Amino acid sequence: MNAFIDFIMGPMVWVAFLIFILGLIFKMVLIIKDINARESYVYSYLTWKHSLRSIFAWMTPFLPQSTKQSPVFYSISYIFHLLLFIVPIFLMSHIVLINEAFQVSWVALDDGLADILTVIVILALVFFAIRRHMVPEVKYLTSYKDYLLLIIVALPFITGFLAYHQFFFYKAMVIAHVISGEIMLILIPFSRFSHMIVAPLTRAYMGSEFGNVRHAKDW
Amino acid sequence: MANEIETKDEPTIVKEKNTDKAVEAGLARLTPQRIKSTINQVLQKETGPRFKAYVETCMHCGLCAEACLYFLSNDRDPAYSPAGKVKQTIWEMLEKKGEVSTDFLRRAVHIAQTECNVCKRCSMYCPFGIDVAYLMLMVRRICHKLEITPLYIQDTVNSHSATMNQMWVKEDEWIDTLQWQEEDAREEFENLRIPLDKMGADVMYSVIAPEPKFQAGLLYQAATIMHAAGVNWTMPSSPGWDNSNMAMFTGDNEISGRIARAFYETAARLKVKRIVMGECGHAFRSTYDVGNRWIGWAMPPFEVVHALEFYHELLTSGRITIAEKFKKTVTLHDPCNVSRGRGLHDMAREVTNMMCESFIEMTPNREHNFCCGAGGGVINCGPPYKGERMINNKVKAEQLKATGAEVLIAPCHNCHSGLEDIVHHYDLNMEVKFLGDLIYETMEKKIYKPGD
Amino acid sequence: MKPWKRKSINRETKMKQKVIFIGFILFLFTAVIAFSNTDEPEGLERLDNSVFENPHRPGAVFAHDDHNEIAQIEDCAVCHHVYEDKKLVEDESSEDSPCSECHSLKPTEENSISLSVAYHKQCKDCHFEENKGPVLCGECHIKE
Repeated sequence: MNAFIDFIMGPMVWVAFLIFILGLIFKMVLIIKDINARESYVYSYLTWKHSLRSIFAWMTPFLPQSTKQSPVFYSISYIFHLLLFIVPIFLMSHIVLINEAFQVSWVALDDGLADILTVIVILALVFFAIRRHMVPEVKYLTSYKDYLLLIIVALPFITGFLAYHQFFFYKAMVIAHVISGEIMLILIPFSRFSHMIVAPLTRAYMGSEFGNVRHAKDW
Repeated sequence: MANEIETKDEPTIVKEKNTDKAVEAGLARLTPQRIKSTINQVLQKETGPRFKAYVETCMHCGLCAEACLYFLSNDRDPAYSPAGKVKQTIWEMLEKKGEVSTDFLRRAVHIAQTECNVCKRCSMYCPFGIDVAYLMLMVRRICHKLEITPLYIQDTVNSHSATMNQMWVKEDEWIDTLQWQEEDAREEFENLRIPLDKMGADVMYSVIAPEPKFQAGLLYQAATIMHAAGVNWTMPSSPGWDNSNMAMFTGDNEISGRIARAFYETAARLKVKRIVMGECGHAFRSTYDVGNRWIGWAMPPFEVVHALEFYHELLTSGRITIAEKFKKTVTLHDPCNVSRGRGLHDMAREVTNMMCESFIEMTPNREHNFCCGAGGGVINCGPPYKGERMINNKVKAEQLKATGAEVLIAPCHNCHSGLEDIVHHYDLNMEVKFLGDLIYETMEKKIYKPGD
Repeated sequence: MKPWKRKSINRETKMKQKVIFIGFILFLFTAVIAFSNTDEPEGLERLDNSVFENPHRPGAVFAHDDHNEIAQIEDCAVCHHVYEDKKLVEDESSEDSPCSECHSLKPTEENSISLSVAYHKQCKDCHFEENKGPVLCGECHIKE
């Protein structure tokens, strides 16, 4: 069993992170090559100024009109996306493992706080699922794949939460935690999770069209 | 309008009768093979990474729905939400790899041509800035290539193709109309002229074909404003005078490009310094934003000035002075193609306030204004669709009504016509006016001399 | 109701319902377990962690003699090693001095292995190598 754990917590972590990072880089390269080959005109309109203007406007809570009209969704969404990065990166257990492997460490979240934040992430995902099921215009667009995405993100947090509290099946829970986390990382470049890098691009283009050609705001 | 059929495993398929002859006749001609190859050709060869990003990154969050006039007017029916329209068209075409039925296409052309104004309001509500209007135009492109474009708008494209104007206006008819308006206007301004083909003029004034066809008074008004302001202007006598471009809205990009080219070449032939255009939104979109791209110009080869901006210039520079301000309460509709499309909304307010005593804002406004419901070629699909258009414009009517204004200013032909329909249908008791109407009514009828 | 809105129950919807159902059950399950009390097993022998100023986890469970019996370790130096000038000194052991004598809480110039890392690596490295024994955090730091 330890050999298996060693594998999923050793080489597999490398594999997952490499696929995650190289996959995103590869995707980015493919997009840029595709743009160069088929849609190079976008460079005529893209400007750093207007791209960044639009991206930052949309990252500022409650600046865009849309965020003012759906404050509950956006609040939860902002918090969810922030915590999605903050919790795993600043989790003490993760930092301890990284410290053992690479002799580097950084400031860690208090365990109790991290625990609460994890619950918030899970609740946000539950909210997204309920919203998908209840709000007609969202339900109309929803297929089982959309729930699948929510589950894929939820699993590492749920298993991590359960493992931390050592409620039951501790060993299995940690293994499930590690594997589900790796699955999520691996899937990012190949699924709609890739909005992580593609959304800034589409936002930049729309921001440039609006700022540069249309002389109007796009938020 | 619609019959239900039992469908299994195909939740979004619909069977509806369309009273549009061109659509029905076109659908009857189609073969599965042609449908498949056309859809795949367009989606694979005529799109690029942008299209791919739009369909592959949409998280199905439904936030775009809140932006759409159609969704809001139809009691939040998800089938009218922007992403809902994409689901019923593009997503399914992709999923089925182009193997869709004629019933599907009947619905698709209906959605793309008459249930979306390609106003781009939704891309201001999508956190990712996904351009649903672009996707709808892609559906229109497919429908064009399948020859199932609605009859009335296809007729305008045919007219463009044959005459380079939208309304089958013959060359002599055009010149004759200008001379007629010139003659009439000379009763008011003794030496007024509508100079045709004057080389090297400061301004080429261009209009859309409905003006000579049945709104000749607008040419009269424009001529008096130009004359009073002492502008060195001209109008072309040859095809290329019409700046409208309906082909842009049917996905007939080839004809759209021809129209834009003829237009700029006319301006080049006359060696004018810049182009001023009448109060039309889609024509501005064509000549400022879209048509130029199809013929290889990132930005238009000429400075293209919308009437609204030009009036602002005339009024702020004192070339036109207001004799007496307009008394009635007015509200202002921001046409998508000049506000969201060119950011002229603040100028529009300045111009309005310079001419009118009491101006009431409608909400939402500026970039966030609701579309008139007529733009993007929707009104041009003609009478078969007018009834549903009125239903689809309910929210616009409510927005107008809430202002309580007596006069509604619409600096765009499409908006003007669409809003007139709304005002009548919903008994809003408003008078719809162009900015030019108001300038003509309120300006001092004297000729500008530098130094006055 | 518009005809294109009407959805018949199809494979996708069924799948969707199944996914939601399973998700819901899982959530309930975890919620119930999460808020029910779990009893701490009695009589666990733990390592003394009082040297840590602010321990984040309870001391690791470790029964010294049982461990060595099962693991068949007789030489103290297997764990209680001695390093001098960063080199392992053979045939010497350090069972009489606490680990914290050499391993301080934070890595230092002379000794880059902090106390917690020393403990962790000491146990885990061997357990991985032998493919036996606990290697996951909570297997040793059992909740009090």
